[in-house]
Amino acid sequence: MSTLDVIAIQPRTNIGTTASRRLRRDGLVPVNVYGHGEKEAFGTVGADVASAIARSGAKVVDLKLEGSDEQKAIVREVQWDTFGTHVLHLDFMRVDATQRVTAHVPIHLRGTAPGVIAGGRLDHHLHSLTIECLAVQIPTEINVRITSLKIGDSLHVSDIADLPPGTTVLSPADEVVVQIVEPKGEADATEEAAEPAGE
Amino acid sequence: MALMPKRVKHRKSQRGRIRGNATRGNTVVFGEFGLQSVDAGHVSATTIEACRIAANQYIRGVGGKLYIRIFPDKSVTARPLETRMGKGKGEPDHWVAVVRPGTVLFEVAGASLDAARDCFNRVSHKLPIRVRMVERRPGT
Repeated sequence: MSTLDVIAIQPRTNIGTTASRRLRRDGLVPVNVYGHGEKEAFGTVGADVASAIARSGAKVVDLKLEGSDEQKAIVREVQWDTFGTHVLHLDFMRVDATQRVTAHVPIHLRGTAPGVIAGGRLDHHLHSLTIECLAVQIPTEINVRITSLKIGDSLHVSDIADLPPGTTVLSPADEVVVQIVEPKGEADATEEAAEPAGE
Repeated sequence: MALMPKRVKHRKSQRGRIRGNATRGNTVVFGEFGLQSVDAGHVSATTIEACRIAANQYIRGVGGKLYIRIFPDKSVTARPLETRMGKGKGEPDHWVAVVRPGTVLFEVAGASLDAARDCFNRVSHKLPIRVRMVERRPGT
């Protein structure tokens, strides 16, 4: 859940590429707020605020638009620059606290698998889970314990038990989240080592 | 065997210019760490192969998996040695991947931060362009 303060959005009248670039040069980030049957609003926040929102991983934030009450919104989209250092644009979607919404939540692996200690390789296939829950209950991350996985074991979406109450998982139940695979055999290692000599 | 396309529509291509930054293939998708280019340039198939071998030799010891995110799909022609100019364009000589600033070249999964850093350090010495290490973006 969000730990950020209320985000104050300053309105902007000039929209479009050129105006947005001008705003970014002045240390601001253009944002759009839409949804919930209300008219869309265009505004700006400071670059530091935008960066904090994007890096916190917060899904639901409290917004304060000029001339209106405080409202909850989902961080719908974050646009980064090519090198992933600056936030270029933010999209917020207004939500009701009692509304059920779909969200992609990152999966965080907890603990060390015995299979990895035994020499196996950890293959993390699914990095985010699609869930449906109340807008105010969207978790920042989903913790998955892997302390029971041995070599050859795999953990599926259906095995994830540590979910907030009232959450429905929309990702396919048979999808593999993480598996411990056997390390490559000695034969493969010799073949790889021989290759540079042949070049 | 170095990477090359199985079949192409046209054997020879014009050199072209590399303009702008990468707008696709610029995020870490498969692993936890990636090697991102800072410069624009061409990376040949033999260079990619050399990087693959160097990375795999290291990563096998620490446990992890390497992903190659670029593919050499552009042919580069060359003239035979000691031939006069003219008589048309040369024959395809090798294959290169076109790399823009921001392109993620390689990714490593299942390895620690230090192991990934060491691995990419070995790889970076084989590349003709400047690179930097990046982590998966928060919340993805």
